[in-house]
Amino acid sequence: MSRATQRGLLGAVLLLGSWEALARGLALPAYTLPAISDIILATWQHRSLLASAGWYTLAEALLGYAIGCTAGITLATLLILLPPARRVVMPAMLAINAVPVAAWSPLVLLWLGIGMASKVAMVALAVGFTIFLSALAGFDRQDRRAADLLRSFGAGPIALLFRLRLPAALPLIAAGMRVATVRSLIVAIVTEMLGAQGGLGWIIYQAVVQIDFVQVWSAILVASVLSLSFFGLITWLEQRIIFWR
Amino acid sequence: MMQLRALLRGVVGLLLAALLWEGAVLALHIRPEYLPRLSTILAAMAATPGAYWDGFLRTLAETLLGFAAGGFVGVLNGVIFLRLPALRDMLFPIFIVSQTIPVIAFGALVVLWFGNTLLAKAVIAFYLTFFPVTVNTLLGLNAVDPRQVALLRSFGAGPGTILRRLQLPAALPQIFVALRLAASLSLVGAIVGEWFGDTIGLGVLLLQAMYNENVVSLWAAILCAAVLGTGFYAVVAYAERRIVFWGAEQ
Repeated sequence: MSRATQRGLLGAVLLLGSWEALARGLALPAYTLPAISDIILATWQHRSLLASAGWYTLAEALLGYAIGCTAGITLATLLILLPPARRVVMPAMLAINAVPVAAWSPLVLLWLGIGMASKVAMVALAVGFTIFLSALAGFDRQDRRAADLLRSFGAGPIALLFRLRLPAALPLIAAGMRVATVRSLIVAIVTEMLGAQGGLGWIIYQAVVQIDFVQVWSAILVASVLSLSFFGLITWLEQRIIFWR
Repeated sequence: MMQLRALLRGVVGLLLAALLWEGAVLALHIRPEYLPRLSTILAAMAATPGAYWDGFLRTLAETLLGFAAGGFVGVLNGVIFLRLPALRDMLFPIFIVSQTIPVIAFGALVVLWFGNTLLAKAVIAFYLTFFPVTVNTLLGLNAVDPRQVALLRSFGAGPGTILRRLQLPAALPQIFVALRLAASLSLVGAIVGEWFGDTIGLGVLLLQAMYNENVVSLWAAILCAAVLGTGFYAVVAYAERRIVFWGAEQ
């Protein structure tokens, strides 16, 4: 185990220990800070409820993530292949992006209802922008001399895209995809809290209304574990696929 | 002169976009529950300017407070972590985990701890902003050429002087990249924070419009949020160009 890992573990143990000691020692009420052991116990007791809510939220996040990634990369690719379109599309995209993501949630809820569709749409919007901007930045990074060389061998724009631009852009796209993992779950949960039929955000909202703050912490715990696993999975895939970086 | 021209182009672009919006809604017969005409939205804002202006100012105050606190603590964290790598190794993983907590869930607790005050919203905005600033400050400080540090030290400069004269200025471009991101994030934090039952603010206007299914005032609130976000971002970007005049974009 490396020195940094040891220290990281030490930090986590110290944090959890002092949390437990603080909550137990001062007998803090649950709405201020429940003890960490109580939170874990409550999570275990409500495991079936939390698991199904977690799946619900994860399904929304994954679906929106897939749509957002596809749309973002496709749009960036189209703009690279059709440079004139860029001058028309970019201002519109930047205008949409100027509005804070959270401000779109109420509107999308009104449009698509409180079912899964509105959450998937919000996640796709938030993820799509992240991926679109990083893909575009990545595609723009091509090496002029390499492009000229390929062109002199008779490569067309499509060949140029696949042979040169895409490999050059992949590290940036992957970085965007990594950032977007955590964002996808957060956006799904935020939108669920404004109105939903299930999911972690809905559980949190219910628990806040019922003043059940151990339940809030349980849902937060599940959400964090899901985010970290998703982040870990994408990072692992990135290291497998983009081996040249 | 250049700036004036850029400003003029921006104004013309905005006018064109407004015309396009108005024209598209009229020509394509878009139903008003999806996208109302821009003139309808502006008229609604003009009818009750007080509510939008108060909400704008309130959200602006929350955003600025959270941004300032997050920026300050972020830079401070970066400097402390540079000096004490052991502390960095201990706290950094915890910071990363803390960023996976959905802010809105945390928001419920923050509002409970701090009451339904301006401070609670600023804390949420702070929570979203301090981490990117910490990461980028540390990156920038670590990227300083060790030979330059050695040179200053050979002239008898203490750690404080080296930090002020060399390391912080060298890290500024990186720090500003994070500050621009933080400008957007702090606004999101402020808006989301207001969803836990407040009476003034753009987030409140958004929520009320949603419950009343009033698409026109929903769009009006979205426009206000966009103006606030873009304006704040522009101010930070302007400060960046002024302060980091040697320019090290990316």
